Amino acid sequence: MLELLFILPMLAGLLALLLPGKIGQGVLVVTALLHLQLGVMAWFGGLPTYADNYFHPSAPGLLVLLVTSFVFLAISLYSLGYCQGAKIEKESIFNGCMLLFLSTMSMVALADHPIVLWIAIEATTLVSAPLIFLQRSREALEATWKYVLICSVGIALALLGCFFITLSVNIAEIAVPLSFTSLNEVADQLDPLWLKVGFIFVLIGFGTKMGLAPMHTWLPDAHSQAPSPASALLSGALLNCAFLGIYKVHTLMYLAGLGSFSSQLLIGFGLLSMLVAGIFIMKQPDYKRMLAYSSIENMGVIAFGVGIGGFALYGAVLHMVHHSLIKSSLFLSAGNILHSFGTKAAEGVGNLAGVLPRTFVPFFAGFIGISGLPPFGIFISELFILFGALQGGYYLQAAIYVGCLLLVVAGAARIFTDISFAGNGGPPLHRDSLLQVIPPNLLLLASIILCVWIPEMLHQTIINAISVLGGTIHG
Amino acid sequence: MIHFAEIVLVLILLSILLSLASNRLLALVKIMALQGIAVSILPLLLEHYRTMGSGGLIFFQMMLLIKGVLIPGLLYFALKKISIHREIEPIIGYHASLFVGLLIILLAVSITDALGNAIPTGNALLLTTAITAFFAGLFLMMSRRKAITQVIGYLMLENGIYLIGTALTQHSHISYVVEFGVLLDLLVGVMVMGIILNNINHAFDDIDTDNLNRLRD
Repeated sequence: MLELLFILPMLAGLLALLLPGKIGQGVLVVTALLHLQLGVMAWFGGLPTYADNYFHPSAPGLLVLLVTSFVFLAISLYSLGYCQGAKIEKESIFNGCMLLFLSTMSMVALADHPIVLWIAIEATTLVSAPLIFLQRSREALEATWKYVLICSVGIALALLGCFFITLSVNIAEIAVPLSFTSLNEVADQLDPLWLKVGFIFVLIGFGTKMGLAPMHTWLPDAHSQAPSPASALLSGALLNCAFLGIYKVHTLMYLAGLGSFSSQLLIGFGLLSMLVAGIFIMKQPDYKRMLAYSSIENMGVIAFGVGIGGFALYGAVLHMVHHSLIKSSLFLSAGNILHSFGTKAAEGVGNLAGVLPRTFVPFFAGFIGISGLPPFGIFISELFILFGALQGGYYLQAAIYVGCLLLVVAGAARIFTDISFAGNGGPPLHRDSLLQVIPPNLLLLASIILCVWIPEMLHQTIINAISVLGGTIHG
Repeated sequence: MIHFAEIVLVLILLSILLSLASNRLLALVKIMALQGIAVSILPLLLEHYRTMGSGGLIFFQMMLLIKGVLIPGLLYFALKKISIHREIEPIIGYHASLFVGLLIILLAVSITDALGNAIPTGNALLLTTAITAFFAGLFLMMSRRKAITQVIGYLMLENGIYLIGTALTQHSHISYVVEFGVLLDLLVGVMVMGIILNNINHAFDDIDTDNLNRLRD
């Protein structure tokens, strides 16, 4: 059954909280494998739904689910090596919360009922907060406090948004079950005023969680303070889940004939996020924070692409997949660097190519990928979004978009090249083990493969996800 | 009977203004307890909530217990544990805060007026109070330094959201959506537990969020 996708990691997570760390590691990896297996089965439609008012394998949901599952598998393998080398205190809390985190994110991906979706997103906040606080330093405490407080306000606003959407159903006096699938069918009868208000609140609420500027302030702190496997999961999976919530309401708006309203908002928030990220990345002394700002930029790219629609929508969905793969890979490589050099400051790290060649390869390749250069998928997706914007006549917006992309690349390039080549970089405290090097490479490899060859099944699902919104790849 | 509801609403409005002007944290917690109780019994006094089933009744009791007893109790415990009494040096002073509170009420009235016919009749004051609580909560979160005051601000914001839901609901058969707001209390609980347990008092001399500014750009 479909619900197993979140029940299984939930039970495993509770179990791992009780088990000692070493055995918990095993539970983590085994659950990750089973979850991927179940996820693939869900893709082939082999899993019936029991509570079908609440859960439904929608095309965008399945996409997010598979990405989450794949990224989680790589991260769980990585954390085998990471926990051996780096001292993670409270390993059982780490294992348990990672699994519970996976469970709540799967629930977000499968939720079809606005309130179930909302509860699941709230739960992601609750179970990921201990991960950020894992290192128990003063900075970690600050990051966790900001994360919980700011995201709580966001979640509260999103609840209000969900309420307004329900209100628009009630005012129109339509008797349908409250689920996105059935609401989409009657979208044109919904009350437009409250639907608009609902969208604004959902966009701000879930946008907080997704890291859209100006609600992004928690993100760099949380991503830099969490242990690297958790940062990779936050960036590669959680942001997508929050995006999914916005995407579903945007679909509803589009079907209700209010697509231009929500698109304008998405374009605005998207460009603002890219700009803010571009400005803050310039003088960034901390490489993990730099990666976090890059995540904000990429979320901006996705929001922008979804707002433009058409060609760009295809690009945005593709971008989501590739960003997850490449960014989580980068966070894992950054974890190796942090582990080896013991500092998050870019200054303290140098000559990575000479000192840690095995980590250097995925780290620098990830930089090439995240900058939007071939052979990685972000190259294609960003190009699609640019074409879409030009085709749609958004010339000014396209210019800002390209400008911000260049700004971020310039800012990131300085740090990446400094870390990789400059300085002489003293001897590392630790060597990187094989288990810490394979997963980041695996994730990058997946991005390269998906760049040149997209399986028919995946292609079809992306098309299904975007066709509702009028997205296409045939200009 | 609607008069009872209005009395409660005025009480809530007063509690909001009081909380903006109060510098004693203990008083603040007591005000929040009162506000929590008022907010949770309010729907019982409204006409369209008369016809609720036993499930609804249990829900309201639970709500009363959480908002009126549990959360304020936790806050009280946190105050005792970390032994701070006053909000010293708020970002925006108490008199100014009170003034902002009045402005927020004006804003809330104008929003309610602008919505006009879109809200159920007789709920205008309710919606005004709700929006006031919402914005005052946000304001309190932004204008105070202590972690615990920020949590109280969040609590007020949450009360506001619950009241907005109550104000706009016309029919009692509406699927329970705003009622899920109780889950937000879970987050409040976690935050307060964080203050009590999680070394906020170990890491800092007092829980002044000004100390939480090492991570910045």
